[in-house]
Amino acid sequence: MTREITLSQAVNEAIAEEMRRDETVLLIGEDVAEAGTPFKVLSGLVEEFGTERVIDTPIAEPGFMGIAVGAAMTGSRPIVDLMFGDFLYLVMDQLCNQAAKTHYMSGGKLNVPLVLRTNLGATRRSAAQHSQSLHALVAHIPGLKLAMPSSAYEAKGLLKAAVRDDNPVVIFEDKLMYQDKAPVPEEEYVLALGEAAILREGSEVTLIGTSSMRQVCERAAEILEGDGIGAEVVDPRTLVPLDERTILGSVRKTSRAIVVDEGHQNFGVTAEIAARISEKAFYHLDAPVIRMGAMDVPVPFSPALEDLTVPTAEGVAANARAIVRGVPVHAP
Amino acid sequence: MPHEVRMPQLGMVQDSGVIVAWLKRNGDPVRAGDPVFEVETDKATMEVEAAADGYLSGVTAAEGDDVPVGGLIAMIVEDEGDVEAAGTGASVAEPVPAPGAHAASRPDPGPERQETPALAERAMPEPVAAGRVLASPKARRLATERGIDLHLLRAQGIAEPIHVADLDAAIAVGGNSALSAVVDPTDFDELLDRSRTADRTRLLASFAAGAWRATFDASSVSVAIRGLDGSLEIVANPDRGGVGDPESPVLTLVDLCGTRIHRYASARDGLTLCVARSAAGYDLLLAFAEARLPLSNAVALVENIAARIENPLLQLL
Repeated sequence: MTREITLSQAVNEAIAEEMRRDETVLLIGEDVAEAGTPFKVLSGLVEEFGTERVIDTPIAEPGFMGIAVGAAMTGSRPIVDLMFGDFLYLVMDQLCNQAAKTHYMSGGKLNVPLVLRTNLGATRRSAAQHSQSLHALVAHIPGLKLAMPSSAYEAKGLLKAAVRDDNPVVIFEDKLMYQDKAPVPEEEYVLALGEAAILREGSEVTLIGTSSMRQVCERAAEILEGDGIGAEVVDPRTLVPLDERTILGSVRKTSRAIVVDEGHQNFGVTAEIAARISEKAFYHLDAPVIRMGAMDVPVPFSPALEDLTVPTAEGVAANARAIVRGVPVHAP
Repeated sequence: MPHEVRMPQLGMVQDSGVIVAWLKRNGDPVRAGDPVFEVETDKATMEVEAAADGYLSGVTAAEGDDVPVGGLIAMIVEDEGDVEAAGTGASVAEPVPAPGAHAASRPDPGPERQETPALAERAMPEPVAAGRVLASPKARRLATERGIDLHLLRAQGIAEPIHVADLDAAIAVGGNSALSAVVDPTDFDELLDRSRTADRTRLLASFAAGAWRATFDASSVSVAIRGLDGSLEIVANPDRGGVGDPESPVLTLVDLCGTRIHRYASARDGLTLCVARSAAGYDLLLAFAEARLPLSNAVALVENIAARIENPLLQLL
């Protein structure tokens, strides 16, 4: 049986189910208890699990991240709530130098089964310090896994997988999608980390979209269908590990690819995926692989300007149309 | 150094511009800063200035043409003697021989979309005339596998970069040239007699595929089998048990043995191998376009197929 629930409810269910299943799972962060986070994702959890396992902290990200890394090394399975993805800069040492490297540097004697939940996404009118999509920073560091749920279904299944993983896993939810509903099974399920999903089949161009850019790609595919162009939509679901097999298989079939992600385009997720396609499916490409990331500027506060910085379905469709018709997007 | 005149991008979302008027004619002297032509975008009409001193040459877009941003429309050359006639540079003004190919090989994009791809394709920026042909990696690979010379496609006026659809178009153009050979039938007939299950047409398809693979070093070879009833079957790697997904066929086989007909090469089939049986033996006929399959390649292919029919053991080696 499935029902439609919001992404926020899906995350809440995943955490509650995992905390019921395993008493070593705990929740830590700012406003995670009574307040239930600014996005009301965690409402009701402190009532069920108490303040021993749902731990409100002061505004001190490096502090609670460090506590969580230590707790993970010594038998707990903490889920850290980082209120905004933009605060990632504050916990980089705890995350990248400690959590990511402890298993390796202890010769496998210590595990850090930690989940860092945070968010990304612009167009919420939150200005440059609360609108960034910084997941590429995480993807760059060996030892960290990275999940990018694209709807309530993925949000629940990937979070449960992350809690059960013995390595540090970072999950970025799109903060504009918390109220978006999607069909989610009533019965328990866990999604594998490292398995992409083909959401729509097509033969002329592959649109690879992470997080909410999956929806952008799906809308672009609908526009393209009206033009008689068949677009395949692939959601990688996790960027580390990355399901190259599914992505490359799709591109070998369609000969063309557009990679869409809301992180900055320069040196970003789109660049990495595009490079892998160019390296590994080179002889199957009939057009250059196109990257579409967020504009390389601080996210503007002006709504009109902010909206211009994020890839749109119309923009994806326009690029797809060009490469399918053999029109160079960049002059040869 | 000659200077390229391209359609400028005058608006953020502009993807093409209409040439309203040429303010200089082909061959006219121009100075840097002189207005050369007037362009209309969806927002405004603007004059575009020359970026260098020289003579306007090889104008390829006419007034009223809608040219994509970046499209080459003329050159400015230093010497008056280097001026080329209008319409000789980029292939904007004159349709190239195979511009309809894209439309033909894809689903109909609908009436309102008809014009855009055709204009965009014929206004593709023209690369330098000599040297490496611009082609997508897949087009280059398939051209090698199918024995198509990209330089000859360029010489035919197909706009670069060359994409897979251009190769398909090249194949679809069919052949005006023909090569024929008569092959001693003894061993092949014996093979057919000995085996109750052998299907002559399938065997011929596998010989053709084997010959193609050997001649062009191709990895995957699909062959189309055309029947006189109009039927068309595409077989992937017939020389390897039909394993793999059928792709665009490298050639079309028409098995005419048992009929009085000795040639049927349909224009829609492109490169076609007809096999007929006469008193003298098996008559092979390859219909091909020399622009796509150079004569030397066609000869090598026919020789290889003939050798296999003459001595079927070759197919096993």
